[in-house]
Amino acid sequence: MIIPADALADLRAALSAERVADDPHILDSYAAQPFHKVEPGVWVHRPIAVAMPENTEEVIELVKICNKYKLRYKAISTGWGAQGGAGFDNVVQVDLRHMDRILEIDVENRTIVVEPYVTCAQIQAELMPLGLNLHIHGAGSNCSPLASATSHMGMGFSSISMGYAPRNIMGVEWVLPTGDLLQVGSIGSGAGWISPDGPGPSLRGILRGWAGADGGFGIFTKCALKLYPWAGPSEVNVTGTGMDHLDVEIPENNSFHLCVFKDMESYGRALYDLAHAEIGYIQAKVAPGLALAISQFDRFKLTRDNENLRKMVGGFSHQFFICLQGNSTEHFDYQVHVLESIVEKNGGSMLDISQVMGTPPGAMWWMLVRNSLAPAMFRPTGNFYSTLGGDESIASALRQDIEGEKLKEGFIAEGACEDDFGDNAHTLLYENGLFAHTEELLLFDHRNREQGEKLKDLSDTVMREIPEKLLGGGGFSFFAGGYAHDYLGPQMDNYHLWQRRIKTAFDPDDLSDSKYFINSEGAELAEH
Amino acid sequence: MPLALEDFRRDMEGCSRCSSCKWIPLSQIRSKRFSQVCPSISKFKFHAYSGSGKLNTGLSIIDGRSEFDEAAADIFYKCTMCGGCDVGCKVYRNDIDLTDTFAEARARAVELGHAPIELLMLVENMNAENNVFGEPKDARADWEAETGVELLDANAEQVDILLHVGCRLAYDTALRPEIAAAARILQKTGLKVGTSKTAESCCGFRAYESGFKSELAKFSDDMVNRVKSCGAKMVAVACSDCFGAFNYVYPKNGRALPVPVRHIAEIADEMAGGAGRETAKTAAAVSIRPADAGRGGETRTRKVTYHDPCNLGRKGQDFTGQYEGNKLDRPDEMRRAGQGGRYDEPRRLIESIPGVELVEMERIREYSWCCGAGGGCYESQEEFSLETAKERIEEAIATGADTLVTSCPWCVNNFNLAIEAMETGAIEVVGISQFIEEAFS
Repeated sequence: MIIPADALADLRAALSAERVADDPHILDSYAAQPFHKVEPGVWVHRPIAVAMPENTEEVIELVKICNKYKLRYKAISTGWGAQGGAGFDNVVQVDLRHMDRILEIDVENRTIVVEPYVTCAQIQAELMPLGLNLHIHGAGSNCSPLASATSHMGMGFSSISMGYAPRNIMGVEWVLPTGDLLQVGSIGSGAGWISPDGPGPSLRGILRGWAGADGGFGIFTKCALKLYPWAGPSEVNVTGTGMDHLDVEIPENNSFHLCVFKDMESYGRALYDLAHAEIGYIQAKVAPGLALAISQFDRFKLTRDNENLRKMVGGFSHQFFICLQGNSTEHFDYQVHVLESIVEKNGGSMLDISQVMGTPPGAMWWMLVRNSLAPAMFRPTGNFYSTLGGDESIASALRQDIEGEKLKEGFIAEGACEDDFGDNAHTLLYENGLFAHTEELLLFDHRNREQGEKLKDLSDTVMREIPEKLLGGGGFSFFAGGYAHDYLGPQMDNYHLWQRRIKTAFDPDDLSDSKYFINSEGAELAEH
Repeated sequence: MPLALEDFRRDMEGCSRCSSCKWIPLSQIRSKRFSQVCPSISKFKFHAYSGSGKLNTGLSIIDGRSEFDEAAADIFYKCTMCGGCDVGCKVYRNDIDLTDTFAEARARAVELGHAPIELLMLVENMNAENNVFGEPKDARADWEAETGVELLDANAEQVDILLHVGCRLAYDTALRPEIAAAARILQKTGLKVGTSKTAESCCGFRAYESGFKSELAKFSDDMVNRVKSCGAKMVAVACSDCFGAFNYVYPKNGRALPVPVRHIAEIADEMAGGAGRETAKTAAAVSIRPADAGRGGETRTRKVTYHDPCNLGRKGQDFTGQYEGNKLDRPDEMRRAGQGGRYDEPRRLIESIPGVELVEMERIREYSWCCGAGGGCYESQEEFSLETAKERIEEAIATGADTLVTSCPWCVNNFNLAIEAMETGAIEVVGISQFIEEAFS
C-alpha cells in the first residue's frame, strides 16, 4: 500500500521534504519489530510513510493531515517492540526522534519537562550532579521516560522508592487523535508543570489507564516528571563496557545486597516486612537462571547442563537484589540494620554476589541504578516474552509467580522457549508499600520458526488462565490487542465498554493506530 | 570461503531494535550532549541509518521486500564504518556483527553498480597510481627528501623493520612532521629501518571497506611479497587504517602478513618501557632531544586530549578467527567488541611527558566518536564527514584541552578541516609521533 500523493505532498509541505520518507527501505526499517510480537517472525506492517516532526505544532499539523485523508498514524520514539510499529496497512509512522530536548529542570520542586526522544540515561546523567534521579522503567535507560509515563506500563527496579511511571507525571502536552491540543494538569491552566490533576483538566486515567494506549490514543509531545533524591556522587566512576567487564566502586552510603530465602513463604514474608519497613532505593527479584544467562552466559550454560549445579542454583530462587541509599551515614546504617533484621527474622541469608555469580557487586549496583540491564534480556537467545504478571498485592503477585512457573515449565517441555531453570518471575515492590509487580519472562529465539509458532498462542493461553485460576490483572495479555479486552472485559467490570466509548469519543474515525490498544468498532474476539 | 549478505541473515533477523547501536554503552553515558555513538543516525535521523536500521534494510532486501537499488546503497554508504554500533550492540549481544554485515551489503552494492562514483574513482586511482589520491606513484617517497629523513631502501637491502608509510602520510604535505617523527622514533630503536620507497602501494583498506573486496588481493599480495623479500621482522605503521588492514582485514581474508604489525604508538610505548615505566624513561627513549632541553627549568602545563582512531581502537583487535557455529555460543574473545584495541599505549606516552595533563573526552576508547573520514565518507560524503569531525572537535574543546592528539593521519586531516570550517583557534590537532617529539623540544 502506498500513501496517496496528495497526502504525501501535504505532509512534506507541513514538515519539509527531508523529514518525510516513502522509500521502501526506510519504511521497512520501521517494520522490523520482533519484540513482543504476537505473530512469529520479524515484520509488522510496513508504514506508508515516515514523518519526523520537530515540534508540537508540526505534530498537530501532521495529525490533522492524517485526519483529512483518513490515514492511520502511529507515533514511536525510542520504542522497541511491535507495539511501536504499524498495526495496519495504511499507517503513517510518526518518528519523534527530532523532539529530543530537556526543556526544564526545576531542582527546587524536583520536576523535569522533556520531549519524547530524551532517554532515561541522558536524563540521569544530567540529574546526578544536581543531587536528583528519576524513575527508570523496565525497558531500560535506553528508552524514553515520556513514552513509559504516558503510553506503556511503568514498573522498574527503582519502583520501590520512585513508584510507577504514570504516577510520576506532573503534566502532559497531548495532541489528541483529532489533532487538537490538550494540556493535562496545571499546565493546562497556565500554572506551570506543578500538578497532574489541576488546576486544569485531570485526565491521567483517561489518557493511559494501567497498561497505556501504546500509541493508540494520540501523540504526547511534552511531559513533566517527578524527580527523586540522589545521595551519590555527581558522576559515578565506571570503567569497562560489557556486562562482564564493568568496574565500579559503590559510593559511600550506598550498598548492594543479594538476599536469599529458603522458600516462597519466607520470601513472601520478607517482602511484606521490607514494605512495612519502608527502606530500599532499588529492589527486584531477578531469578538466578536469568541473572546468570544475561550476565555470565558461559556460567549459565555450564549450570544448565549440569544436574547438580541446577539443583544448587535452584536454591537461590527465592531472592531479591536490593540497593540501599542513605542521605547520611546514620540513615544508611539504619537501613542496613533493618535489612539484616528482616533477612535474619525470615531465616534468609545475605550473599556476596561476586562469589555466587562472579559479577562484582559494584557492577551489579550500577547496572541496576542506571538500569542498563534491560537489553541484556536479548543476549541468551535473541528475544524474550513477558507474560502472566501484573500489579497486585504481594500475596497475589506471588501466587501469579507460582502459576507462571507452571505455565512456563510447560512451554520449556515443549521446546517453545529456552530452559532457564523455569523460575523466572521478575518481582518487585512499589513505593515502599504492599503492592508488587510481577511477570514471567520466557527466553526464546524468534529466528527459530518452531519456537515462534509454539509461542504464538501464548497471550491467548495466558488470557484464559487468568479467570480460570482467579488471578488478578490482565497477565499482559493486553499486548494481544482489542480482542483481549473483549475477552477480559466481561470478567473485569466491563471496563472494555467504557474504554471503547472513550476511544470513540476522542478518536471517532479510529485513526490513532489501535492495534495494541482498543479499537472503536468492537470485538474481533470471534476470530480468536 | 567468501561470505555474502545472505550469510548474515541471522544477524539481520536477530536485531531486537533495542537501539543500543545508537548510544555509547548505557553505563558510560555522562551527559546528554555526548551520549550518541553513531554519526550516521545522528545526522540522517531516520531509523534506517542506524546500525539496527541497516540490518533491517539488508533483511528487507534478502527477504525480497525491497530492491537493492541506489536508495538502498545510499543507506549503506552514509556510514563511516566506524564500528561504534558494534560496540554498543555487543554490550548485550554475542550474535550480531553489524559492520561485517554492512561490508557485505557494500560488496553487493558494488556488484550491482550502485557504489558512489567517488569511490569508483578512488579504486581507479589505486589501480593506476597505487594510492587513493591518484597522485604519481613516483612521488610516494618524496617525503623523505623533503624532511631529511633517510631510511634504508627495503627493495635493495634487508631490514629489521619495514615502515609502511601509507597513502595519507606519503602524500599529504601537511603531515610531513608526523611521518618524519615516526621514522626518527623507529630509528631510535637502533634497528635497521627501511621503506619500500616508490614501490610501496596502498594497503587496499579503503577499497575493501568501500565494498570493492576483490581489489584486496592485488594489494595484499604485493605487500606480502615486499615484506618477505626485505626480510623484515616487523612491519611498522603510523596510520591506523593501515594497521586495521594488516592486522584484521588481511588475516580475515586469508592473507595475513608473515610478520607482526605494530603501530608507532605501540612501538614507542614499548621503547619507553610499557606499562609501569617512569616518566624520564619515555623522554630518553623516544625523544630526539632530552626532556629538559629548551625548557629553561620552567614547567609548562599543556592540556591534551586523545582521540582513539577506530582502526587502532575498537576495530584494532587482532583477528581471532571466523566463528562458524551459532554465534549465540561464540566465545567472548572471538567477538569484535573493541576489547583488543590499543587504548593504553598512546595514553601512557602522553601522560608520561612532563608538563602534559591528559584530559579525557566523554566518548573514549571503544566507545569513541569517529573522526568521520572512514568508510569512504571522506571521499564520497563530504558534508557528513566534516560534520562528524566537527562534533568531535566540539567534544575535545569541551574538555578544556588545547591540543588534540591522535594516532591516525586520516583523523588528523579531517579534524584540521573541521577546525578550519569552524574557524576556531581553541585547539590544535597533532599526530602522536609529532607530539611526542615536539613535547620535548
